[in-house]
Amino acid sequence: MLLLAGTIPVEGLPLTYGRVSYLGDKLTIGDYTLEGQYVTLGTAAMISAASVVSQALGAEDPLAFVIGDTGMGEGTVTLLKHLTDELSAIKPSVVTLHYILPTRDTFINFVEAAHKMEKRPFMIADAGALLNAKAVKLAQKFDLFTPDPGEISFLADPDAAHPAYVQHFIFDVDQTEVPRLSQEAYANGDAPKYMIVKAPIDHVIVDGQVAGVIKEPSVPAMEPIGGTGDTITGEVSALIAFGLPVVEACTAACKINRVAGELTKPNPATTIAQFIPFIREAAKKVVVAKG
Amino acid sequence: MPEEEKDKALVVFDYIYHAMRAKHVLDEAGFKLREVAPPVDYRTGCDLAIEVDATDVDAAENLLIEKDVLILDILFMPKGAKLTPVYLTKLIKTVDYGDYVMVRVGNMKITYQKATGSIVNISGGGCPDIPFLGMKLYGTIIGQGPRPRELGKTICAYTLEHAYNKALEIYQKQSTKKGK
Repeated sequence: MLLLAGTIPVEGLPLTYGRVSYLGDKLTIGDYTLEGQYVTLGTAAMISAASVVSQALGAEDPLAFVIGDTGMGEGTVTLLKHLTDELSAIKPSVVTLHYILPTRDTFINFVEAAHKMEKRPFMIADAGALLNAKAVKLAQKFDLFTPDPGEISFLADPDAAHPAYVQHFIFDVDQTEVPRLSQEAYANGDAPKYMIVKAPIDHVIVDGQVAGVIKEPSVPAMEPIGGTGDTITGEVSALIAFGLPVVEACTAACKINRVAGELTKPNPATTIAQFIPFIREAAKKVVVAKG
Repeated sequence: MPEEEKDKALVVFDYIYHAMRAKHVLDEAGFKLREVAPPVDYRTGCDLAIEVDATDVDAAENLLIEKDVLILDILFMPKGAKLTPVYLTKLIKTVDYGDYVMVRVGNMKITYQKATGSIVNISGGGCPDIPFLGMKLYGTIIGQGPRPRELGKTICAYTLEHAYNKALEIYQKQSTKKGK
């Protein structure tokens, strides 16, 4: 079972959980339905993408835990404490942790609880969870990170506690910098076994080494669109939970996002809400049609 | 002759929200300050501390208390202590998409429409307030609507504020040119 968790920027939203289903422009989590702009922000974009890919594959719906948090961290702490207590009862095979406010003890306790499970889930982190894992030196307790160029620069800088403190930032991902930074991050213990470096050229990394490069189709207008990185994280989560080998799932997720981008025909003002519905067709083209 | 290094004090905060407010308040009051990463024991991964001259710290503390900025602690740093500064001013890149301009600072991107100044996309970051800022800023005119520093509570929001300021500067230059 795939478990997705993170915060939603809705003030006062209590801890909400259940099976998820994206339909039309609505995302349902248990009994709670997010509509309009709330569907497609941060964690919700990731969950929507995972739901759409699961539907395209005919897989079971993912389970999600979300809570309101607009940056002060109260929601994050409640969410992590709850997951820490409930993880062994839920028994997920894959856990994806997304937008959270970095914390110390609650985050460490959650990761330790996952590692104490009889069968440890495959652990994925992106966004705040990725920043948090590196800052508290627990990156290698995870299996997969999905950084963008800013985040891989951060992972490779052993002294940086946040991307704002990175001394040598890369903006343009090329064939030299991504392999070098990935290798450095891994050697420093600040990257897990697998990574997708999400950028105009995507890289799949295994043990600090490049295992795949995905360039096509190329859709430059996707870069400004907020949420296109979040959707890759949701897509790869669904594919791994479905049983695809990890490298294959990473490669397929990058392709699905690119094909969805091509189908969307975006410009820099396109919203992620307009993008997500095309993921279904893209997933079918990339994964289902190939059996 | 180089200026003799002064003893420094570090103001640390529980929440970035207060660090951002402190920076604004102390800047306005004319304090000499530097934004730095707090020492390791105080870090969670989303932190910002303000370094001031030790001789100024009492006045700075009083002003922050008066302005309801919550301080977690004040640390007196040994002379020569090295703290990582924020490098954001060196991390700026702009991309011209024809009708749109994207400004990237560090890990945050903001995109606006050249003709109207309307913010059309915000990307990057990982803290909970970034999607919240997206909701509040999309569709507003840059320089006229809410600013990241007014609504944001994390260092990602603080980075976005730098991107917002750069985008505003470019937009104003473009508007002035057009008006000529």
